[in-house]
Amino acid sequence: MATHEEISASLQSFYEGYKKNNKLNLMNRDWNRIIIIKASDIDSQHTLTLQNGELSVSQGAPDQKADLVVTSDSETLADLFYGDITPTEPYLNGTLVIQGSEDDILRLDFISLMIWGE
Amino acid sequence: MKRVFSVSLGSSKRDHQVQVELLSEQFEISRLGMDGDFERALTKLQQLDGQVDAIGLGGIDIYVYAGNKRYAFKDGLKLMEAVKTTPVVDGSGLKNTLEREAVTYLLQNTGFIKKGTRVLMVSAVDRFGMAEAFAAAQCDVTYGDLIFAAGIPYPIKTLPELEEIAAKLLPEMTQLPFHMLYPTGKKQESRDEEKAQKFAQYYQDAEIIAGDFHFIKRYMPNKLDGQTIITNTTTAADVEFLWQSGAGRLVTTTPVFEGRSFGTNVIEGVLVALLGKPYNDITPVDYLEIIKKLNFKPRIIELDN
Repeated sequence: MATHEEISASLQSFYEGYKKNNKLNLMNRDWNRIIIIKASDIDSQHTLTLQNGELSVSQGAPDQKADLVVTSDSETLADLFYGDITPTEPYLNGTLVIQGSEDDILRLDFISLMIWGE
Repeated sequence: MKRVFSVSLGSSKRDHQVQVELLSEQFEISRLGMDGDFERALTKLQQLDGQVDAIGLGGIDIYVYAGNKRYAFKDGLKLMEAVKTTPVVDGSGLKNTLEREAVTYLLQNTGFIKKGTRVLMVSAVDRFGMAEAFAAAQCDVTYGDLIFAAGIPYPIKTLPELEEIAAKLLPEMTQLPFHMLYPTGKKQESRDEEKAQKFAQYYQDAEIIAGDFHFIKRYMPNKLDGQTIITNTTTAADVEFLWQSGAGRLVTTTPVFEGRSFGTNVIEGVLVALLGKPYNDITPVDYLEIIKKLNFKPRIIELDN
């Protein structure tokens, strides 16, 4: 089991990976989304906000309605945002549940692979 | 009589059967759409196994390429592995030869392609031979893989960048259900209005629009301005649709039988049946030689727009 702090640190790592990849800013300039990251086994919630290609991370729930809700156990979330695992397998086996449109799910997968892919 | 059967995840509205003679052999070629029903496709493939000379898989890729790397779609492999005896092909072997040759033919024999011609390839990893041929002809190519498969407004402009992005994405993306990346079943019959409007500029800026016809059709803006479309798998109704959309001409890379150009999977199935060699022993040179014997050339239809 990972802690809330570990998930926060993994999201910070994800954020830094996003910032380092200049193309991601350009690629996501049309994709303004609010994404909740929620652990199913501990009390932990974060919000990722994408606005005009810029990514920000904050603790807790957002003020507005989220476009995507990503739920998994704390360990999977930390592994995922540290890039130790890709989202595909946990998504396909149901460990990672993403509520949102299929296009948005695909886009989130894409961002993760652009940061952590080979 | 040799029988080649194409099982497609696409719409059953495009089902068709023709009989043709090729190099003194009679062929019955059938296409059966499964309307996106993956399990039904699996069952049909198992029924056909051992009953026909070759099977084509349509509406899905098994393999896509970027540079010297090949990526296999999990769903495509699952379908292929359902067939134990009959050779089964997805057209990717032929795309690397026939479609590359088609661009070279147009370059040498027409004025449609020249240095600097603006080309939109709606997707390139499924037609890497064609993508390389356009690059070799020094065309100004936009590879639309991210735009149309993932909805990301990022035009890829060089093959090295396509290879780099493919290496990051495809090992994982190919594990996803195929329908998340490509229009299957009923989606093939409708246009994606939102994306067609959002990405219209890419079509309008191009002189040539090339690649998979279902992608081309699904994201086609309301009006074109005389562009050349290079594709295959078109029916008489598709030709009418392209004319009404304002396309200038249609070039099909596969031969036309009874008014329609079949998909590369069907034609690869025909060639495999004609070659009569174990599928794994067939080389690109075998394909090139038999294409030459058959005198397959791109078909050009002027649409008078």
